[in-house]
Amino acid sequence: MKEIRLAIKILKTLVKDRIQYPDRLVVDTIGIIARCGILLILYSYVFKLSNGAINGTTFLFAAWSIFFYFSFSVLRLRDISREIMKDIQTGNVEVLLSKPISYLSYRMWWQVGSGIYSFVVITLLAVVTLFFSIGLPSTMTISIFLPTLLLTFFCGVILSLFLYTMVGLLSFWIEDINPVFWIVDKAVMILGGSYLPVALFPAFMFKIALWSPFGASQFVTHTVYKTWQTNWYQLVGIQLFWIVLLGLVVYFMFESAKKKVSVNGG
Amino acid sequence: MPETKEIVAVNDISFSVKRGERIAFIGPNGAGKSTTIKMLTGILFPTSGTVNILGFDPTKDRKKLAYQIGTVFGQRSQLLPNLPLTDSLEFFGVMYDMPEKEIKKRIVELVELFDLSSFIAQPVRKLSLGQRMRAEVAASLIHKPKIILLDEPTIGLDVVAKKSLRDLLLKINKEENTTIFLTSHDVGDIESLCDRTIVINHGVVIRDLPTQDLAKTFVYEKYIDLVALSNFNNFPELPEGIRYSSKDKNKVTVVVDINKINVQESLKKLLYLFEVEDIDVYNANLETVIRHIYERDSTRN
Repeated sequence: MKEIRLAIKILKTLVKDRIQYPDRLVVDTIGIIARCGILLILYSYVFKLSNGAINGTTFLFAAWSIFFYFSFSVLRLRDISREIMKDIQTGNVEVLLSKPISYLSYRMWWQVGSGIYSFVVITLLAVVTLFFSIGLPSTMTISIFLPTLLLTFFCGVILSLFLYTMVGLLSFWIEDINPVFWIVDKAVMILGGSYLPVALFPAFMFKIALWSPFGASQFVTHTVYKTWQTNWYQLVGIQLFWIVLLGLVVYFMFESAKKKVSVNGG
Repeated sequence: MPETKEIVAVNDISFSVKRGERIAFIGPNGAGKSTTIKMLTGILFPTSGTVNILGFDPTKDRKKLAYQIGTVFGQRSQLLPNLPLTDSLEFFGVMYDMPEKEIKKRIVELVELFDLSSFIAQPVRKLSLGQRMRAEVAASLIHKPKIILLDEPTIGLDVVAKKSLRDLLLKINKEENTTIFLTSHDVGDIESLCDRTIVINHGVVIRDLPTQDLAKTFVYEKYIDLVALSNFNNFPELPEGIRYSSKDKNKVTVVVDINKINVQESLKKLLYLFEVEDIDVYNANLETVIRHIYERDSTRN
């Protein structure tokens, strides 16, 4: 109960913070328009050159899939790695460890809270814009779409947090995690379908995207395709498997890391 | 692999603290002060020995202990920078699992006690350092801790802000019987705030005594001011154990090493050398005393 109360307080406080200082929303909006908008324009052109379909997929499906990736990225869950690294490098970790909280769950809720306002506003605006500009694929109107989208979204949030927390916790051993972060982040971007929609992946890469935690953290991008209707439980199952596995890794890493808290600057 | 070296940060430290005491835990940089505080709060785990605070073992009961203690790390802020101070106080109230009513009541108390009303509605990042430190201490007291551990709380503050913070700490010690455990390089903090001083160096407690005895116990130098009857025209060589601290035609100050020559003997010899109108004999200030303790301990090692 206490954990939930604190989580709600963190979310409320950070939403208030973001509303009061809307710069982040502006930056996030410009970011998504620039990155996602340009990609959609380019893919629209590519699909036109290919007579409207590539590998059996039309632009409509590809566009929503790409949008789901970028919308998810607005949550900035990846930033938890750098926040943990910053805590360790600056010694702020000691401030948080002296409070009656679980450091990791606090950091995770904080990360969700940091991005949730931008995520909700941008996603709502972008859904309306996309709906009126390119329309809605038929797969998004069936009854299981929304509940399974929410399910895979929540699993994706937890998996992303675990994945990037693992990277962040490496700071207890290697201090500068940027090279590891770069590799993991690019793996998530590529296998999650930010550059190329997953439906257009070659078979072997699709398998990697399906079975790796990097791709599994971005399964929201699969929800628009017809295959989702028959495969969703398998994909959610893969996510749950990785959540359990990475959750255990994070737990044991943190237990070991606590004994290695360094005393930067006394 | 980079070469690593094992360093013993603290070794065989042992002390106990009574409820309501005000302890200064001092030592030069790298002495082991912060390491000790981190062990007391359960952030660092000692390789051997036991720590017991209010019946809790910090290594096993970190969270339970956290409800009973408050911490202030002078160089690190725990407040929410973009939001008004009141949000930070409410936030910490929830963190300490206090009921909403109690949080509101406590905020009113702290606002009054720490005189926060003039800036409680301002975003924390707009506060002056002095105001922010008051706010930091107030935030750490939201849950009425039995002990407050402060790691260099007055660092960077001007004299007025320092005094104000010290007065507040004395007030909460008096009114709420909060035990104060403080590390500081500022002699003023020790002198005006703490009734007991523990000196640590090279990870070992070298002294544990009432602050008022610190100067008495460690004074092996006396200062003597000699005020000239007319003017001092020459400054003769001084006997062994006495050296000039300052020379002026109106006043000379000398330092007497009482291990080499006692005060009575020094005065006799000085009066033979100088024609004086007035004499003042006094101890070194606390800062000098502490410097001597550190230096002497370093020489021993």
